[in-house]
Amino acid sequence: MTIAVATGRRRFRLGVIIAYTLRSCIGPKRWLGCLLPCAGALLFGLLAHAMKETPGDAFARVAADGIFALVVPIASLVIGDAVFGAEVRSGVFHFTWLTPTPLTQIVLGRWIGGTIVALVTIVPACALAALIAGDSEGVVPAMIASAFGASAYIAVFIAIGCVARRAAVWSLAFVFLVERLLGTALTGIAQWSPTWESRAVFVDFSPGAPRSIVRDGIPVGGGAVVRLLLIAAIALVIARWRLSRLRLTGASD
Amino acid sequence: MSAPGAPLPPLSPALDPAFASNPTVDVVNTSVWFGQKVALSELSCSFGPGVTGLLGPNGAGKTTLMRAITGLIPVNQGTVRVEGRNPRSDRSVHARMALVPEDEAVPSGLTARQLVRYVADLQGVTDRAAPDRALDEVGMLEVADRRVDGFSKGMRQRTKVAAALVADPGVLVLDEPLNGADPVQRAHLIDLFRRLGSEGRTVIVSSHVLNEVERLADRIIVIVHGRLAAAGGQRAIRDAMNDRPRHVLIRADDRRRLASALIGLDSVAGVQFDTDSVVVATSRAAELAMSLPALARDLSVRLREVRPLDDSLESLFRELVR
Repeated sequence: MTIAVATGRRRFRLGVIIAYTLRSCIGPKRWLGCLLPCAGALLFGLLAHAMKETPGDAFARVAADGIFALVVPIASLVIGDAVFGAEVRSGVFHFTWLTPTPLTQIVLGRWIGGTIVALVTIVPACALAALIAGDSEGVVPAMIASAFGASAYIAVFIAIGCVARRAAVWSLAFVFLVERLLGTALTGIAQWSPTWESRAVFVDFSPGAPRSIVRDGIPVGGGAVVRLLLIAAIALVIARWRLSRLRLTGASD
Repeated sequence: MSAPGAPLPPLSPALDPAFASNPTVDVVNTSVWFGQKVALSELSCSFGPGVTGLLGPNGAGKTTLMRAITGLIPVNQGTVRVEGRNPRSDRSVHARMALVPEDEAVPSGLTARQLVRYVADLQGVTDRAAPDRALDEVGMLEVADRRVDGFSKGMRQRTKVAAALVADPGVLVLDEPLNGADPVQRAHLIDLFRRLGSEGRTVIVSSHVLNEVERLADRIIVIVHGRLAAAGGQRAIRDAMNDRPRHVLIRADDRRRLASALIGLDSVAGVQFDTDSVVVATSRAAELAMSLPALARDLSVRLREVRPLDDSLESLFRELVR
């Protein structure tokens, strides 16, 4: 039996993995799990009206504590776990792993796929939240901050999926223990925290946002964007390194 | 020549039935453990063209061996090579090898055609008709546009077989591939695997359904507790065990009287009563077969059934596990 005959054009593997990620990894439940926090973003937009401050100030405060510290990480966790950790746990990752595809392309493909999902869910939700809050000048900064923040988070959660079997639990620990607790206390941690860096991106690009929502010692604006890209890059390198050492056992193990 | 009482030197790989004459997959002194649990212990064997059956009870280490061969898990000790390459570090070897895992899990949201095409694309298969041909091989073409997560277990297995075949691999590792398939599908898949083996591919199949392995495999490797228990053809394994007692089930009118007489025969090593039969252990089955009718006639006992219990792989397997 000869099944494969070279008569067509070879497809770009990275594109194949991105398409698979979008088609298979994010199922209906995952979409719901991602859209629920996004709906939460809209509620935070409404909440800004309850504050006795200017719309810019009010939205900046709810964005800092609600959107960038809660909505973006939770929605990104749902996406990041779906594009990698859940596949490993369910025992279907071997369909990808047992091919000659370079591991770097596998990691990049999953990350790009996850980021695309974030761009069509988290980012519009954050923009809409700014509009609902009445801070039209905050729309674009919220989009930029949430886009780069979510992409960094997804990379981090993919890396955690490569390191730990219970990726969702460790990812939550990263958000709430490392970022929220340690990041609040230690600038060194905050400098490598997507939450704090997302705030720093938003503050610099949004004219109405008060500087008080950002920690001292963290680069703002373009510097924070670079820092978020750096976080994503480091996380992807760790994921690539760990992927080559992963024990791919079945779902029942 | 060895001194009396000294252990015999190990067979050279050329003579040892655990090693294929023209190996494509080499497993050398391989151990795998998960924490305190040893899944494979200093296992050495090889696989070559043709179908090799992998047998063992649950937890024997068959699936671990298959995962080590395909590089899904690292080995803690020893080496595994596929066509001379390390499947763990050399990703190019995956273009020549495919696995059908036992797990029922399949990617969600994909149709059978999309799944097979996904694997084909990652394998670099350029023939756009290859996925449909692979699905046709396993009788899944008609339902190729249905989602795999809605399939029965047997249909999932066949879809995974199609995904494994799409890149025309030289080494095919099949972990319980017949699970859930109906009898017609089983027969079809067995024919397919035999054909793949006869075409020169290395096909490694594990199964709990032992009569299927008898139909499938030219060569059998038995693993028990992570160690190699036996290897060779079905007959070769049986011959190698000639020093062990064989078992013959006898149903007769007066089994107690027959049993007492049987104990007196030189060819009988032991007698065991079952609910309605007697199971005789013998190391000289032919001699027993000759003497049993005469004995029954002398005792005026009517023999209703005489059946060897060891001719199937299943009984052989029980013997090895004992």
